[in-house]
Amino acid sequence: MSPASSTTPAHHLALRGVDFSYADSSSPPSPSRRILRSAHMSVPRGAFVLLTGPSGAGKSTLLRLFCRLEEPQAGQVLIDGLGVTALPPQLLRRRVSYLQQTPAVIPGSVRENLLLPFTFKSAGGDPRPDDATLSAMLDALSAGDIPLSQEASTLSVGQRQRLCLARALLTKPQALLLDEPVSALDACSSRAVLNAAESFCLDAGGTVLLVSHAEFVPRRVAPQHYRLENGNLAEVPS
Amino acid sequence: MDGGVLDITPWRLALALVFSLVAGGCSLALKLDLGRDILIGTVRSFAQLFLMGWVLGFVFAADSPWLVIGLFFIMAGAAAHTARGRVKEKAVAFAWPMYGSMAAVYLLVTMTVTGAIVAADPWWKPQYFLPIGGMVLGNSMTSVAVALDRLFADLRARAALVEMKLCLGADVSEASADIVRDAVRAGMIPAVNSMMAVGLVSIPGMMTGQILGGSDPSQAIRYQIVVMLMIVGATALGSTILTLIIRRRCFGPGQRPLLR
Repeated sequence: MSPASSTTPAHHLALRGVDFSYADSSSPPSPSRRILRSAHMSVPRGAFVLLTGPSGAGKSTLLRLFCRLEEPQAGQVLIDGLGVTALPPQLLRRRVSYLQQTPAVIPGSVRENLLLPFTFKSAGGDPRPDDATLSAMLDALSAGDIPLSQEASTLSVGQRQRLCLARALLTKPQALLLDEPVSALDACSSRAVLNAAESFCLDAGGTVLLVSHAEFVPRRVAPQHYRLENGNLAEVPS
Repeated sequence: MDGGVLDITPWRLALALVFSLVAGGCSLALKLDLGRDILIGTVRSFAQLFLMGWVLGFVFAADSPWLVIGLFFIMAGAAAHTARGRVKEKAVAFAWPMYGSMAAVYLLVTMTVTGAIVAADPWWKPQYFLPIGGMVLGNSMTSVAVALDRLFADLRARAALVEMKLCLGADVSEASADIVRDAVRAGMIPAVNSMMAVGLVSIPGMMTGQILGGSDPSQAIRYQIVVMLMIVGATALGSTILTLIIRRRCFGPGQRPLLR
């Protein structure tokens, strides 16, 4: 993980006047299909930011803009002051790791799933973690009881969510984009996921942008809070 | 009788319409609602085959390579058009790459067979090039349609997995490798299966034609073996190349999946 440096811009993730609407047969797009209207957002490096809003408001879309899974119609999506298009997509997505709302695992063991990112060309010379590292990562997410040889498809949703978070953290990203990471989890799993995200900020200096339909993260953990509703993105005062 | 083949007189040909009438009767009795299609199909079979017979007669007489290759491209266009119609996905534009690839790949396969294996002189000799090219196109058309249909369906069904891999740093080929593999395999299976059954379940078309034409069965077998192997090779090559080319079109700028 690259620690924050004095030469990098203060804002790690930023939106500048971003418009986004889903393709619509009607022209101009109907207001209900417009997701972001001239949206501005600034997330400092190492911050833990909460993004809330009603279902269907476009919170996931906003996260997906940062890893180029969506393209805005206008405005700029910036990482470290540079447009996201300035980086090759594979490199961008290793720096800014997006975790889908529904955890996706490949057929195979927990070990194979954790090592999946290291089988891609973009891993380059990144050392492949050994079993001890994999187990330690799972342990940090209160999932140390899952054997590395277990078939990933047999895991519960909560276990899969932690497996996916562990897999993302093993690639040492600079930012984590978490899409409703605890919506389907029990209290114990939720706590483990939140603790890991908080530790990613505090101990590793990473940035977390967490989407939720409810304000379940205390202000102490996420002092910055945005709300998205009817295409308007606004910072919620403390 | 003309050179070993029994003539089918126009009256006897008309007698074959009995089979269409039987099919139409079944449709009527069982309320299959296929009467109209059977009628149109019968008329088209007559019209298209008589037209093809006339065109082939003209091309054989003209003996021009440009006419042979031109006719082959028309046949390739018709095959691509038919294959395109069988693919349900409409969100990805794939018509032109499909026409181009099918024409180029199957031209190459047909040239290899006529020039190197059958050793026709010249390689474009219409009596060899057009029937063999037609068999390549006819069989590959189905395999290409199956492969592309499977590719598009799986890219939608497994969109979450593809996206997950992209988010972990995979490129398009890494994120969709298993989907491409399954699509090509699905396209090839009919051709591979027909190799297993050939000679046991049926006497295939080309061999039948040569035997009816009075050829030595041992020679007809050799031709049929070449045809079977050619079809497997052509379906493999066509399905693979087309699936790889069209896979790229399923991702937008920034390697963003377009099907989900």
